[in-house]
Amino acid sequence: MEDDTIVCRCEEVTVEEIRKAIREGAVDVTGVKRRTRAGMGLCQGRTCEKIVTQVLARELQKPLSAFKQATVQAPVQPITFNLLAKASHD
Amino acid sequence: MTDKADVIVIGGGIIGSAITYYLSQERVKVSLVERGDIASGTSGACDGNILAIDKMPGYDSQLTLKSQKLLDELVESVDYDLEYAQRGSVLVVEDEQQEPVARDWFTRQKEAGLPMRYLAGREVFEDEPLLARDVIGLVECASDASLNPMALVYGLVEASRSIGAMIRPFTEVTRILQDSTGAVCGVNTTRGMMSANQVVLAAGVWTPALAIAVGVIVPIKPRKGHILVAEQSPRPARRKVQEFGYLLTKFGGTEGRRVEAEMDRHGIAMVFEPTEHGNFLIGSSREFVGFDRRCNHHVLELMARRALRFFPTMRDIHIIRSYAGLRPHTPDHLPIVSPVPAVPGLYIAAGHEGDGIGLAPITGKLMSEMIAGEPTSIATEPLKLDRFDS
Ligand SMILES: Cc1cc2nc3c(=O)[nH]c(=O)nc-3n(C[C@H](O)[C@H](O)[C@H](O)COP(=O)(O)OP(=O)(O)OC[C@H]3O[C@@H](n4cnc5c(N)ncnc54)[C@H](O)[C@@H]3O)c2cc1C
Repeated sequence: MEDDTIVCRCEEVTVEEIRKAIREGAVDVTGVKRRTRAGMGLCQGRTCEKIVTQVLARELQKPLSAFKQATVQAPVQPITFNLLAKASHD
Repeated sequence: MTDKADVIVIGGGIIGSAITYYLSQERVKVSLVERGDIASGTSGACDGNILAIDKMPGYDSQLTLKSQKLLDELVESVDYDLEYAQRGSVLVVEDEQQEPVARDWFTRQKEAGLPMRYLAGREVFEDEPLLARDVIGLVECASDASLNPMALVYGLVEASRSIGAMIRPFTEVTRILQDSTGAVCGVNTTRGMMSANQVVLAAGVWTPALAIAVGVIVPIKPRKGHILVAEQSPRPARRKVQEFGYLLTKFGGTEGRRVEAEMDRHGIAMVFEPTEHGNFLIGSSREFVGFDRRCNHHVLELMARRALRFFPTMRDIHIIRSYAGLRPHTPDHLPIVSPVPAVPGLYIAAGHEGDGIGLAPITGKLMSEMIAGEPTSIATEPLKLDRFDS
């Protein structure tokens, strides 16, 4: 992958930014996310998590299976303020 | 691992990293020890407001102003995009009942030297056109700012590393070690022993657990808070907006806010913060419910409802994520930045509740001054651990 290939399209994070995060100590998807915002956008990493994991595996020389999925945080699907607020009336 | 440093800092959150940075600047040999990844505690699950408006007028707000000055320097000197923006912030006054309290707060903050304004009537909607039409006032503090808190932690850690600090993530301190006189001589960790004659305990809400093992009681309790993250959208407001009632949930006393008991029970108060990425965050909740960091769905619902009370136009904007963190709460709302008299060489820097990001620079600076035995930038009596004795 080229350095300037965009991995996370929602937040426009490049491969090089992810490699830099790994050089600075990120060892998993969550660590990359905190340092680069990859996976923090609208799709919440559904598209880019696999590629981020591949970059991690290559840079840290570990098998793909060594990486856990990032913790899924509520809401699992985006929900509007209105719908979420209404839930508390039920 | 054989490891010898002048100072060991326990905790790779915003407080530990600021201390590591200021000590390293003074050429002190520091090892920063963190049990997980850097910024994996409360500093990775919070908001990035640097506010003076919500501090008690007096020592509290002076401490914040000092910290803001130091932060201005950090923004220049730390080679990291901190997403720093100084747009000011406003408190929304909901009704006539709140108005006298809000005006009093405004006056006291102004007297304490903050750049304050009180906006009423039409001025409110000229400032923030999308606020609910029934609110009646805004208290503004022009110097308030915000940044990306995790970027500040990573920026401080990388800057420290580049001038010689040892950074040890994924290394848990299991015990603080004392010599035969009772003075600190190092720590035991999951990766071996490390020695130093000074140890700074900056482990946020986890500080009491390590302190009690050396006989020191630290009155810090986790006060949980939730955040909702919205998608990118046209902005409901251009800068930080908090309901005035936030001060009530922060400092206690629920008089003066007309909300259901349910909102007060979970300490819900609307906090809106735009980010540099075109989206925004919504807080807040405040409750003592132990160390569980998972989101409580019911609390998230109440927060969404409270946000709509102030910004009805948010209704169709999507929430894409939520998270919760544990604020390190002390009984008097001030942090502990202090030597521990009973254990020579041991220091504590923790208990910053909802203000740790804003107060990190001054905390790091004060700790480096204390350790060097120099006069401190501001009086530290109110921050001493022994204020809780008796
Ligand atoms: C929802 C929310 C919103 C907030 N918004 C703001 C805001 O807008 N502005 C602001 O100024 N503040 C805000 N805060 C408060 C701020 O987040 C905290 O005050 C601050 O992060 C505390 O930093 P810390 O370094 O003391 O703790 P932490 O970040 O928790 O760091 C302590 C570290 O110590 C480590 N540790 C614990 N035990 C050990 C051990 N035995 N060995 C090694 N390491 C250990 C932990 O893993 C942790 O990383 C908010 C907090 C929350 C929850």
